Amino acid sequence: MKNKLIYLFISALLLVSVSGAFSQAKKPTIMVVPSDVWCNTNGYMLEFDNQGTKVKIPDYKKALQENADLLLVISKINELMATRGFPLKNLESALKTLQDQAAEDAMLTSKGGAEINESPIDKLKKVAKADIWMQITWTLNQTGPKKSVTFNLQGLDSYTDKQIAGASGTGKPSFSAELPVLLEEAVLAHIDNFNVQLQAHFDDMFANGREVILRVKTWSSFEGDFNTEYDGKELTEIIEGWITENTVQGRFNTTDATENMLLFEQVRIPLMDANNKAIDTRGWARNLQKMLKEKYQLESKLMMKGLGQAQLVIGEK
Amino acid sequence: MKRIIKLSSLLLVMVLGLSISVNAQAKKKADKDTEDFVYEIEGVSVGTQGTYLIKVWSYSKKPTVAINQAKKNAVHGIIFKGFSGKPGVPGQKALATPAIEAEKKAFFDEFFADKGNYNRYVTESGDGSVAAEDRMKVGKKYKIGVVVSVNVSDLRKALEDAGIIKGLSSGF
Repeated sequence: MKNKLIYLFISALLLVSVSGAFSQAKKPTIMVVPSDVWCNTNGYMLEFDNQGTKVKIPDYKKALQENADLLLVISKINELMATRGFPLKNLESALKTLQDQAAEDAMLTSKGGAEINESPIDKLKKVAKADIWMQITWTLNQTGPKKSVTFNLQGLDSYTDKQIAGASGTGKPSFSAELPVLLEEAVLAHIDNFNVQLQAHFDDMFANGREVILRVKTWSSFEGDFNTEYDGKELTEIIEGWITENTVQGRFNTTDATENMLLFEQVRIPLMDANNKAIDTRGWARNLQKMLKEKYQLESKLMMKGLGQAQLVIGEK
Repeated sequence: MKRIIKLSSLLLVMVLGLSISVNAQAKKKADKDTEDFVYEIEGVSVGTQGTYLIKVWSYSKKPTVAINQAKKNAVHGIIFKGFSGKPGVPGQKALATPAIEAEKKAFFDEFFADKGNYNRYVTESGDGSVAAEDRMKVGKKYKIGVVVSVNVSDLRKALEDAGIIKGLSSGF
């Protein structure tokens, strides 16, 4: 009996250590999109009136349905990234899924006739999402019969708004090559340099933690603000103290701090929690939410945006 | 008569031995030059899927050694050096950092041995002939430019599989 218990204990220990050893960080999603400049130049924009101001937004659906060159570039980049072991989310498929899901949600009812719950925020969040955008722009240059393509590929972090990778340049002028051929050459010429920088970004993330953004706000129903003192410390100080203790080497910036809101940028959160499980910003900020509730009896609502942005609103759920 | 034949045979053996020894020394020096990055790479074209067409300039007292060393220098350069761009041909960054070279020395010694695996990823462009303007005498050495094609895609995959460099999705 005693031996059995020892074997059981050793097996459990091995299982825990093995699962820990194979734990992997949360993988960011990447999607290729045409830039606003490209969409505007080629007439793929939607224009609407926003309280007297004309606003233009890119019409990706129209661009994908009408421009074969765009499809070629996206498909080539997707193909090359897949061969590098990093398949990308496809813009066209993501848009179709959104459309299908919206139609399905509108028709979905329970046996009792109940409909799907959807708040205005839920509606607002129904857009194609990715953690990293690969934004492409190209222009065709023509000097007499000579043609060349200027190509620009940017890797943009959705949360920090930083350009984490990029490759650009103008290809060799050609008298005979068609635009699709020049575009394919441009993608092939630039993708490796882009990936070197993307790899450097991932290496930095593994070494120094994921760079994220945290916003802390208050509901109007909250009796107090960020200057209110708890146990002799202002709420701002308490939150900053928690972030210092729970970031890689205490790295973060307090970009904005008023009595009603706090904005923390360049927050380096660990990729794994204390149990060696992969976490994202929401998982990390949930610990702050728990701490505020347990120590100071402060309720809060936690919202997220992908892997790298979280918003905590203090006052109620 | 017999003595003359004996003497001339001995002389022939000595000359052959000396020539082999000089060649071996030149080859050894060329290998040392590769390790010390004594070669230059310039891009010719990178618009083909998975391959770079590059010109490698190698140095040696013997032109044949420089020509033969071009393939090794090309692969070494793509892994550790990269090359700068020129109008119409963007430069490319190295596949590995110099720190990896020291860290994985045993692997690279075997990889860059004379019959090492580096040969799988490089082919001479054309018939291996060198254009007149690509053959220069610099001091006592020859500087020879050879155009080769390196299969970067397969080379990177092999290095990733061997655990020498990291793949884009490693760690996720």
